[in-house]
Amino acid sequence: MKTIILEDIPLITLVGPPNSGKTTLFNYLSGQNYKTVNYPGATVEYSISKIQKKFNFNANILDSPGIISLIPNSPDEKVSVDSLYSHPRYGVPDLIIVTVDASQLSRHLLLVRQLIESKFNVIIALTMTDILQRKGFEISSNLLSQKLRCDVVLIDGRSGEGVENLIQIVDKNIESSKLIGKKNPVVLDSNLDIKYLLNSYKEIEEIEKEVISCPKNAGEKINLKRANRQLKVLNEAISGNNQLDQSTLKIDKILLHKFWGLGIFFLMMAVTFTSIFWLAQPVMDLVDSGFGLFSYEVIKILGNTWYGNFIANGIVGGTGAVLVFVPQILILFLILGLLEDTGYLARGAMLIDKPLSKIGLNGRSFVPMFSGFACAIPAILSTRTIPNKRERLLTIFIIPLMSCSARLPVYALLLAFLFPANKAWIAGLVLAGIYILSILSSVTVAGIVNKFKNKIINAEDRSSFILELPAYRVPKFGMVITNSYHSAKMYFRKAGPIILVLSSVIWFLTYFPDYNPKVDTHNLSRDQAIELQSSVRLQHSYASDLGKFIEPVMTPLGMDWRVGVSLISAFAAREVFVSSLAMIFKVTDDKATLQSSMIHEMRKATIEGTGQKLFTPATIAGLIVFFIFALQCVSTLAVSRKETGSWRMPAIQFLMFTSLAYIFTVVTVNGLRILGVP
Amino acid sequence: MKTAAELKFGETGIIGDIDASHPSSRRILEVGFTPGQVIQLINISAFNDPLAFSVRGTIIAIRKNEASCIKLI
Repeated sequence: MKTIILEDIPLITLVGPPNSGKTTLFNYLSGQNYKTVNYPGATVEYSISKIQKKFNFNANILDSPGIISLIPNSPDEKVSVDSLYSHPRYGVPDLIIVTVDASQLSRHLLLVRQLIESKFNVIIALTMTDILQRKGFEISSNLLSQKLRCDVVLIDGRSGEGVENLIQIVDKNIESSKLIGKKNPVVLDSNLDIKYLLNSYKEIEEIEKEVISCPKNAGEKINLKRANRQLKVLNEAISGNNQLDQSTLKIDKILLHKFWGLGIFFLMMAVTFTSIFWLAQPVMDLVDSGFGLFSYEVIKILGNTWYGNFIANGIVGGTGAVLVFVPQILILFLILGLLEDTGYLARGAMLIDKPLSKIGLNGRSFVPMFSGFACAIPAILSTRTIPNKRERLLTIFIIPLMSCSARLPVYALLLAFLFPANKAWIAGLVLAGIYILSILSSVTVAGIVNKFKNKIINAEDRSSFILELPAYRVPKFGMVITNSYHSAKMYFRKAGPIILVLSSVIWFLTYFPDYNPKVDTHNLSRDQAIELQSSVRLQHSYASDLGKFIEPVMTPLGMDWRVGVSLISAFAAREVFVSSLAMIFKVTDDKATLQSSMIHEMRKATIEGTGQKLFTPATIAGLIVFFIFALQCVSTLAVSRKETGSWRMPAIQFLMFTSLAYIFTVVTVNGLRILGVP
Repeated sequence: MKTAAELKFGETGIIGDIDASHPSSRRILEVGFTPGQVIQLINISAFNDPLAFSVRGTIIAIRKNEASCIKLI
């Protein structure tokens, strides 16, 4: 077992059920300056940080995934629970801070009781006492502390009040436990039966009765009951501190309405979806042209040499290809984070669970699938919220079919070829059709794979949907922004190296062996000479050899090696297809008219030998179909490998989607030709 | 015996027992559906499934199939 952190710095682990204010407390303790890392070899992630300097207390704080019980319910939960007992990197925690929502006392004390039973050194951070007060109740933290024989500290999540007090008590606690020596926790027997759970609850309810009191006199209590009856919102049997938040009930009447609920849900997702693209587009353009300028400058400084080209097109270009999607990913996580924080996302999952369960998915599959429209990589990472392994694997399986934004530049070019600028609205409609087709195909594939699930996905089948719908609240913007930043950073770290290495490999294939071709630079400007040179270089490169090698495969599609080379280059990132085509067809990079001059060149191109036109409506339609289905993204394959734990899944995905793409393209191109489309 | 899956919209019931043979029974207990608790069906999703119950001061959404293992008095 590796211990990286020095022994004398205490390790404090933060534990708590979902919606108990755990993340808020972690942000206060860490000063929102943490790193997110995976448990080695598992798909569970944790965040670790030093307690921020202003508290003047030197300790590591580890944020664990939200759990409601120490008895794991799935293999992934087992990983989180096991790491709680003894973290593979940081060892046994010196202390556990467990967050408990005071208005959910009986539910949240179950975990506390199990932690104490496991002989952990526990401090309770009691949150949301204000909500309890609003219901007209008070909690005695002293009494709770006595009953459970552990320290209890009140924390106000809105203001951060109580955190300093918590640190003091943590300090005292660690000092005194140093004298006794470190206790080793005892793992709870995972075969404990239901009787044990019921007994736990009985004891907890006894404690709850004693520590929660109604400070108002009895007369008002009766009024409360009468008020409930008048409102007819709740049965009088559900009164006391088990009342629900009234405004949440009212909002749910609209948002979870039987008929409008789903409509509002789809409207919200449509707005989110379009704003991801509209808000991100200017920033993406900026990143794109910034890196374009950067690589241009690099060539200018280092000269048109192999290393100049490598740094300009391999390194700078590759970094740009990674960074260009960061704005979209940030906005996606920002909007999803806000929706999550308000409490709506859990409701969305509930609304969509039934139709998704029909095809072997889960309501919780929705957010990852939706994220797939921006980029498959963060989408696959976000499948971790799906507790059932089979459903998670199936969700990962179909995510590459969601039309990610890297495909947009490709569609933009191909649609501009098909439809003249004055009929752009038809192109818009076709693009909408492409998105609908991508949804339909992913749903169909999920349905088919689900039928043969035992052959494709090896995992137990125990579908379940148990999800708390938290009370609505105003989201905490600062925290959502920090979390989005961390998610974007994670994307960059996961996808970055792969894309960088790959774009270097593809750069190599397109640059060598004829790296310094002789061209007639007579009458040409310096820039034009460089463009011409790179075009000639590409035509004699290894990539073109590869393209010519696979030409027999391209012929049934009505295409030749040049499209083949572009398709191969597109494996670095799909949008590279466009720049690679531009290189092959010697299009001079005059920014304002790149697309129109490319289309002009594409219209002239003919297949060598036959003289047949290379790009016709039929072959362009075929290319669109190819891009809808093909899994041409090495980063997606790598992340799929990481998240599923073997190459099996990415291999099946790659073979299935790419051969589907090929077959459908052959059918489209030749079908259209039979129908008389050129 | 009536189960939580058979409650009507807005109807309340008192939990009598949880069917231990159901694979989700332990999780259902852990989130707070225990004998003696008063629950109310407060929302039904668009396709009549899942169902959202008020239990122990919060709202928990579970599938109909899972609600059927909650037996009412």
